[in-house]
Amino acid sequence: MMKTSPLWLRFVVVTYILLLVGVPLGFDYQRMFAHGWSGLVAAFGDPMMRSAMWLTVRVVVMTVPLNTVVGVGVALWIVRHPSWRSRLVDRIIDVPLAISPIIIGLMLELAYASNGWFGRPEAALGLHIIFSFPGIVLASVFVSLPLVSRQLIPLLRELGDHQEQTAASLGAGPVRIFLSITLRSLLWATAYGVSLTTARVLGEYGAVLIVSGNIAGLTQTLTLNIGSNFENYDAFHGFVGAGVLATTSIVILLVLGIARHRERKRHEHLA
Amino acid sequence: MSISLEHLSKSFGTEPVLTDINDVVPDGSLTALLGPSGSGKSTLLRMIAGLETVDQGRIVLHGRDVTHTPARRRNIGFCFQDYAPFYQLSVFDNIAYGLKVRRTAKVDIEREVRELLALVRLEAFADRYPRQLSGGQRQRMALARALAIKPEVLLLDEPFAALDAQVGGELRQWVRSLQHDLGITTLLVTHNQAEAMEVADRVVILNHGRIEQAGEPSAVYDNPVNHFVRSFLGPTTPFNGVAVRPHDLTFVDSTEGVAGVVADVIRLGFEVRVVVTFGDDTTSWVQLTHEEAQRRSVTLGQPVTVAVRR
Repeated sequence: MMKTSPLWLRFVVVTYILLLVGVPLGFDYQRMFAHGWSGLVAAFGDPMMRSAMWLTVRVVVMTVPLNTVVGVGVALWIVRHPSWRSRLVDRIIDVPLAISPIIIGLMLELAYASNGWFGRPEAALGLHIIFSFPGIVLASVFVSLPLVSRQLIPLLRELGDHQEQTAASLGAGPVRIFLSITLRSLLWATAYGVSLTTARVLGEYGAVLIVSGNIAGLTQTLTLNIGSNFENYDAFHGFVGAGVLATTSIVILLVLGIARHRERKRHEHLA
Repeated sequence: MSISLEHLSKSFGTEPVLTDINDVVPDGSLTALLGPSGSGKSTLLRMIAGLETVDQGRIVLHGRDVTHTPARRRNIGFCFQDYAPFYQLSVFDNIAYGLKVRRTAKVDIEREVRELLALVRLEAFADRYPRQLSGGQRQRMALARALAIKPEVLLLDEPFAALDAQVGGELRQWVRSLQHDLGITTLLVTHNQAEAMEVADRVVILNHGRIEQAGEPSAVYDNPVNHFVRSFLGPTTPFNGVAVRPHDLTFVDSTEGVAGVVADVIRLGFEVRVVVTFGDDTTSWVQLTHEEAQRRSVTLGQPVTVAVRR
């Protein structure tokens, strides 16, 4: 049975959360519906915002699977094959969380712009990275790099590798062991890492602002579109965009929470 | 299936873990690899299972050289100390794992798993998950999972160490009778000499990566080849300049012994531990049954004569 906390503590916590999250979010939704449903539907007709939403979806679809695969691989490498190289990666992988995104954007631009370090090979290959879609994906990958592996590393350490070795002694090959034992054990932690990555990519502003060039209708993601709407005194479209992003993140968290709860119930003691 | 270990050696870096191990585990026996922590016994077990590489020497399973065979092709049942349950799978699917890998037909899997569940008395738990089981139940599940592949040999790494004393004691007896019924060659690793004596019909005593002695438990206990084996298999006490078993000492009425004074009397259930200090300031302890101690009415400060029982 869960212990009940004292009334005053619950009051403090609820008030704090309401003031920090609930009230601002409520105001955003209020402004979003300032012109009623018809106004909201009309706002979605704005071609700049539609293009921005579509671009954000494309960035998420590219970035999240990439960082999930890399995150699982890096976590397995760091925990299962310790060496000075993997320990070095273990340290470096947190760097994106410690550096301000705008600095990450500037660093990427210096390296990948047409007059930058990789400018010549890019031109030779006919690639445009900065001020276009690949640059936005690159920045998104960078800022959300450790979010999956950070969820997995402590879990992998706790699990050890006895399950895998037992599976091998029962006759299973490496692919089967990876799919039926390793990946299954990591499922929920990975899902959590994926949702964090998605939320981070959806909300990224600074790094993407620099590398994308913020060209409306072309390289403007939804967060950049929100920013530019506010700058252009079009607060209504800004609130609509913000509401869309907030709702998406809340839905992701809710779905994950329900799924996790169900999974946990399945494993709970039936007494 | 017998297991032959021929000149096996293994080092981790420059640290030798096992040196020139030679032994034959007889077909159908239950052999205990007994040794203190760091003696290399678990590494040896893992090498036999194929979970650790061999530096030198050969491992032969009933005439088949498996030294470099990968674990999954050895057909050896292996149970970890923590039982390594597949937490994401039900008890049924845990036991069925090896059969599914072998592409056994579904009806046969169903039948064989039900039989194994009955064997380990977990029929009612088929749909549970490992986290819903007690330690003893998890161990039985792990045993059933290992037995499902009809292994040629069964290897158990410290099978009772993670259980509380009572459950561990019951399971020892159960594992012993199960092994006896199935007749499967079994090798278990333990640091607990009482456990090895109770369960095994053969013990191999390891120390610092070498085999000190191997043989029947009672033979090794009665005729230890050196001081290490003697002291590892049971308590010893110094007497007349040599180490002897405290239960081999007794009080005598004649003068054919060493005279001393009772310095302490400790009652431990059925037995009584009597500490005796001799004239030259050395100390021994004598293990008596409670009945013996009462008969002699041993009391503090009493002058006694100690001799080796004959």
